[in-house]
This record gives sequence, structure tokens and C-alpha cells, in this order.
Amino acid sequence: MKRDLVIKWYFPHSPDKVWECLTSPELVNQWLMKNDFKPVVGHKFQFHSKPLPKMGWDGIVYCEVLEVVPNQKLVYTWKGGPRPGVIGLDTLLTWTLEPDGEGTRMVLEHSGFKGFKNMIASMFMENGWKKGIARRMGKVLNEMP
Amino acid sequence: MRTSTDPFQALADPGRRAILMLLSQDKQSINSIAGNFDISRPAVSKHVKVLYEAGLILIKDSGRERYCELNAAGFDEVKQWLGYFDKFWNNKLQNLENLLNQKHNTK
Repeated sequence: MKRDLVIKWYFPHSPDKVWECLTSPELVNQWLMKNDFKPVVGHKFQFHSKPLPKMGWDGIVYCEVLEVVPNQKLVYTWKGGPRPGVIGLDTLLTWTLEPDGEGTRMVLEHSGFKGFKNMIASMFMENGWKKGIARRMGKVLNEMP
Repeated sequence: MRTSTDPFQALADPGRRAILMLLSQDKQSINSIAGNFDISRPAVSKHVKVLYEAGLILIKDSGRERYCELNAAGFDEVKQWLGYFDKFWNNKLQNLENLLNQKHNTK
């Protein structure tokens, strides 16, 4: 199973220029999606894009800024689902910038898929349905409304 | 195949995940699922319906029993969702690179 998504990129531009593109709502709109981002910890914002009903996504990403280190690091949550109030995807984006000569090395980590991946992996790869789990899960089922 | 329910919504429920885990071992009749979980057959039927509508399981009649089994194709959609972001970000970061080049490389 694939682990959390990590994408590395090199830009022949200084970190402050890349940072500007990561944090200016107008610029982010140009390369990513329409948004009301602010580089302020605790700020809640949204991205808006075309809905993908087949993917169970209504086109809105709900985010909250968790960490801002100018020109170095930006972290925000990335959640979405089929309609408002229903979250199917609960993930985290971490952007890190590091100067490299005249340019910048950027690492983007998109993490938090673990729950789904582990579940799918265990369903198809794990041998042996452990006794006891069924009972515990039965309890969960019973307690459901 | 019917997929009137979002598979992620179907998977979000721990009880339904438990049923899927059970089915990953072998196909089961609805009665035998109910037996495994100590819950009523109607409650199991409700979950089975959701899983079926999400395309995660198939239901086949055999004699008097209805058997449930995992539907691999339904899980492809879930895996596709995970692979989706790989392409998504590569695409978007290429946009970002183009934007930076446009803004700053006008020598």
C-alpha cells in the first residue's frame, strides 16, 4: 500500500517568491483553486472547485491553518466530502521550503489517508480474522442509533 | 452496478467496516453475518443495503439464503480516490511552476 503522498519539487526561484505563491489568495487562486486563505494560525478557510460527484466530493475543501513559518513551512488541514457537514476525507497538507542555490526545494506532504489505506490493506492482505474483533465490533454495531 | 451511496460514507461507519472485514475472509449469508455480530437480522440488513448501494459488496441468492461478498470493483473507486491526489498535485505544482516562471522570468 502506498504511504502518505510526498511530492518533491524544485523551483529556480527564491523561497520568498515561492512562499508568496503559497500564501497570497490571488496567486493561490491562479495555480490551485479559489480560496480565502490567510497565513494566520487558526484561520479557517475554504477552497472551491468543480464538484466530483463520482469521488464523493462536492467541490469544497475545508481547511484550518495550523502552522506558519514564513518562507519555510506552512501546514493546514484539508477536509472534504460529498456535501456540507459530511467529511469523507480528513487530511493534512504540509508545505516545506528550503533554499538550494538560487532556487528552492519544496516538499509537499499530503497525509492522513492512513485510516482508509490501513483498512483496505488489512482487508485484502491480512491473514486470519482475529477472534474477538468480531465481538467488539458487534458491540459497536449494537451501540449505534 | 449501483453506486447510489458514496463509498466513503459507507466506509466511515466502524460497524460496516467490521462487516467488510468479515466478508474479506469469505462470503457470508446475511444470517451468518448477524450471527457473527450478535445483532438483529434487520440491523444487519440495513448495513448490507448501504454497502451494496455503495458498490462495495455483491449480493447473490443461493437457495433460500442471500449471500454477500466483497466487490473488488467497488474498492477500485476508493483506491482511485487515493491515487487521484497524486495526479492532482503534480498537475497543480506544474501550474505553480509556470506561474513563478511567468512572474519572475521576464528578463
